[in-house]
Amino acid sequence: MKKILVLLLVSLMVLSGCTKKEDTATTATTETTDTVSLKVWASQDDQEMTQKMVDAFIAANPDKKWDITLSVVGEPDAKTKYLEDPSAAADVFAFANDQLIDLVKVGALYKVTRNAEDIQARNSAGSVSAATRDGQLYAYPMTADNGYFMYYDSSVFTAEDVASLDTMLAKADAANKKVFMDISNGWYIASFFLGNGGTLSINPDGTQFTDFNNEKGVEAGEAIKAFTASNAFLTGDDSVLVAGITDGSIAAGVSGTWNAKAIQEALGDRYAAAKLPTYTTPSGQVQLSSFAGYKLIGVNSQTKFPVEAMDLADFLTNEANQTLRFETKGYGPSNTNAAASPAVAGNVALSALIAQSQYATLQNDVLGTYWGPAEAFGATLEAKDYSKTVKELLDEMVAQISAAQ
Amino acid sequence: MKKIFNIIIKTISSFFVSIINGFKNYFSNFIKGDSITKISYFVMGFGCVMRKQVVKGIIFLTVQLSYLFYMFTKGFYYLQMLTTLGVKEQGEVWDATAQIYRIQLGDNSMLLLLFGVTTVFISVAFFLVYFGSVKNAYQNEINIKNNIKIKSFKEELDDLLDSKYHITILSIPTILTFAFTIMPLIFMILMAFTNFDGNHQPPGKLFTWVGLTNFSSVLVSNPLWSKTFMRLLVWTIIWAFFATSLNYVLGILLAIMINKQGIKLKKMWRTIFVTTIAVPQFVSLLLMSKLLADNGALNNLLINFNFIKTFIPFLSDADVAKVVVIIVNLWVGIPYSMLISSGILMNIPKDLYEASKIDGANSVKQFFSITLPYMLHVTTPYLITQFVGNINNFNVIYLLTGGGPKSLNLYQAGETDLLVTWLYKLTTEAQNYALASTIGIIIFVILATFSLISYNMTSAVKEEDTFS
Amino acid sequence: MIKSVKFKNKIINTIIYSILSFMSVVWLFPVAWLIMQSFRKEPGAFTSYIIPKTWTLDNYIKLFTETKLFNFPRWFLNTLLVAIAACIITTILVLLTAYAFSRLRFKMRKPMMNVILILGMFPGFMSMIAIYHILKAVGLTQSLLALILVYSGGAAMGYYIAKGFFDTVPYSIDEAAMLDGANKNQVFWKIILPMSKPVVIYTILTSFLAPWMDFIFVSVIMKDNYQNYTVALGLYQMLSRENIQAYFTQFCAGAVLIAVPITILFINMQKYYVSGVTSGGAKG
Repeated sequence: MKKILVLLLVSLMVLSGCTKKEDTATTATTETTDTVSLKVWASQDDQEMTQKMVDAFIAANPDKKWDITLSVVGEPDAKTKYLEDPSAAADVFAFANDQLIDLVKVGALYKVTRNAEDIQARNSAGSVSAATRDGQLYAYPMTADNGYFMYYDSSVFTAEDVASLDTMLAKADAANKKVFMDISNGWYIASFFLGNGGTLSINPDGTQFTDFNNEKGVEAGEAIKAFTASNAFLTGDDSVLVAGITDGSIAAGVSGTWNAKAIQEALGDRYAAAKLPTYTTPSGQVQLSSFAGYKLIGVNSQTKFPVEAMDLADFLTNEANQTLRFETKGYGPSNTNAAASPAVAGNVALSALIAQSQYATLQNDVLGTYWGPAEAFGATLEAKDYSKTVKELLDEMVAQISAAQ
Repeated sequence: MKKIFNIIIKTISSFFVSIINGFKNYFSNFIKGDSITKISYFVMGFGCVMRKQVVKGIIFLTVQLSYLFYMFTKGFYYLQMLTTLGVKEQGEVWDATAQIYRIQLGDNSMLLLLFGVTTVFISVAFFLVYFGSVKNAYQNEINIKNNIKIKSFKEELDDLLDSKYHITILSIPTILTFAFTIMPLIFMILMAFTNFDGNHQPPGKLFTWVGLTNFSSVLVSNPLWSKTFMRLLVWTIIWAFFATSLNYVLGILLAIMINKQGIKLKKMWRTIFVTTIAVPQFVSLLLMSKLLADNGALNNLLINFNFIKTFIPFLSDADVAKVVVIIVNLWVGIPYSMLISSGILMNIPKDLYEASKIDGANSVKQFFSITLPYMLHVTTPYLITQFVGNINNFNVIYLLTGGGPKSLNLYQAGETDLLVTWLYKLTTEAQNYALASTIGIIIFVILATFSLISYNMTSAVKEEDTFS
Repeated sequence: MIKSVKFKNKIINTIIYSILSFMSVVWLFPVAWLIMQSFRKEPGAFTSYIIPKTWTLDNYIKLFTETKLFNFPRWFLNTLLVAIAACIITTILVLLTAYAFSRLRFKMRKPMMNVILILGMFPGFMSMIAIYHILKAVGLTQSLLALILVYSGGAAMGYYIAKGFFDTVPYSIDEAAMLDGANKNQVFWKIILPMSKPVVIYTILTSFLAPWMDFIFVSVIMKDNYQNYTVALGLYQMLSRENIQAYFTQFCAGAVLIAVPITILFINMQKYYVSGVTSGGAKG
């Protein structure tokens, strides 16, 4: 027995001996060495492009020795990956703007104070407020394309048809084709409620406030029910949409710019996109709203080189690089100059997104508690489970959304 | 039931008695011992060095010195921090030259908890060694008095290959088990008594001890949590029961069919089913989820052949999905149980069948009166492990349905979520580690009770100790 | 009489053949679909038809040529290395632990066995956070060595089947050897181990396969270090929302490439697998 313990002890000794080393490393924030080493997270698709930008940054700042590495973490996963181990996360990382609220809450981001006025001035007002919490700028707007709109097959629908959801469903049904929207997803389903005047905000006690179960909300809920009950309705994830468009079974679908390439390839000449349609309520036609989505770049609060990391983040989101992003990948710029270029205006998907943006709602005040119940509400209607009325379902949904975490 | 209870009581009480006795001996030996033994109480290994066990003595001394070094550099700090889990929150200071608010890192509650636990483990291990060394010093003194030869280092090493061989071969597994299983487990268990949730995330925020709040929330005070917990618990048990029993019985039947006299190409049949084992589960299950989607290949196939008009909601309707996951799990599990049972089936004595045949039993009756009882008798431990494994069967549910379809009746969970996938979602989606580990503990208590009782009731365990 | 029995038997066999054939189709269908997808030329995550319209080998070729982002060959070697190392360590630890619990008698034996039994019931990935930070404290995160430790760290807890096997070997064999002057160490290596071929192969087989299948533990350990991914995690990565459109068919090709060697291994080792698990798992 003794020998076991000796061995056990020694090994634990080694273990904890090393913990010390680690500790001193993390506490020294302002440590300055010759080489500035930074890690950048970008999505798989953007690796090559980001590398180019980083190279340009290094070339533009020859006074320091740089060691900048790229790793693959996509914008949708940034928050989750960050929280797994903040000190191992990237110094500079891109994320979708709905994660800002949680990232700020856990103290993950450096406040953007260097060059802040220029950043606020050169980006669109919407993107700046998406990067702002409680009056403080926390991130650098990178793109303004993380929203959704309607793709359609122009051989099935005319530009007038896609103004109304009812017309679309009727025509699609007649052609034995489908209209796609992922209803079991809080992000998309919110467009019905927000369009009919629903609000999402934060209560003084920090919980989520929503009025999606009021009279207007029930109208929106009934419209969702009617939509999902339609013969031409189809739900699913992105792969369902792209596959359906490719084999011709889907004639129109709600999605974002990330699918633009695949859908354009599939539809060819018939490729078209527009703002979201209107839907029918007892009080008349209502324009579908949407969440205005942006991608932002943040600087990790645990970084050892905050100044350099901020300069890099600033550089990665400047006008030249936003233009480069648009030219290489078709990402919509948040920079007002870059967005004003004729090339952006000529992009089918981006102009649809811009057309939709006047009906879009900022996503700043949406807490994590919103998504699950909203998804569940959509899933219940998709499954055509009508054992409860829409009002009852909405009451349950709202109760869960506004419950404390 | 009563017997198991008695065993538990007896184990616990004997544990305490031996600790009390240990302390009694510790003090009485100090009084009885000579000066060398007395010094050994403060300088470990002194008694060994003085009594010709130099190497052993040096090892003891090294252990003591490194422990003290560790405790004074880090250990005491961690032990102290274990009480509060950190006091200094992350802050910021304006740096005018760089024009930024420099972040001042605060205490990281999670790491403090982990290192605190580590320090406790190190200390316990050290004190066990310490008591061992003290006992060793006193024993040496007695041995010298009684003219018993003290074992040399070489002789003790030889013992380690023979009479103390278990120490040699179990030391590394024990260390690894402590480092990779027990310590993390204690760490997780302790988390259930903190408020480590979305609002208290290290490194930006501190979390601290909250006592039994989480347990009362799950079981009583938070109706949505407790409702979710109860519903998922019921479904988890139903799932585990069907997943285990159907796999088992159908696996036996398949094995019987393949092994039946007169069936040709036995090897080919077996190989077909084994092939599916070789495809990694995450691949086959993800494919299945695509195949079974509302407009997936299977629905399309059925519609094209006019078997159905609209799609079947294999994975999107709560009740259908529950049946479908059990069926898909058959696809995953039957090949395993088929392999295992074909091995055992061949061991069933042939004369049992012959005898029952003379009594006029048909094959159905034979299956229920001979095959199944025999299999059950031999494979009970396997079945218990399978059942426990299915309760914690993360892969099938997570990859196939992701727990979906989501339901408004459940908190952060879907209709097919098992408790284990729910707690995974609680950590990754809601970052509520406290709630997740609370549920982990409850699952653990249920499973541990269930398996201890069932293991102790199976004959296999009772018959085990035939020699000693 | 005899003729009717024979006839009945024939009917039963026909029924069995049809059941077996039907089941084979059901079991092989997803596998066949996987193989067909891996040869599909049309891009996209999935198609509503089953048989590809155009066939191609590109998906396989790309796995080995387009390695800039998804370095399949490197991941394959990583996995192989981890699998071999973890398998050696695991096998030794499992056999030694099983031998100790089966053959040796010491005070802590029963309590240790009970503790191990109970430990296995806590959901494993819950402790991954702690394991990650322990490894990080030792400076081992995101490395293959860390992964080997994780896969073999809990190895001893799987001693159960091997112990069951050792229990079936008569103790008189040990006694005879010890009368000849062998110590327990020699008994284990020279006498028991050579007799335990099935269970040794069973242990090697199962521990070798684990790293090819797991994607959760490895993702916790490796995080964003793509170079050190294993094939399972790498392939899983191909299915993320942003990659699935472009990489689904390559994912299928990669999956086939893992499945083929494992199938061959399994078919050849089947006999040992069965005798290992039945001799051990069954008798407890």
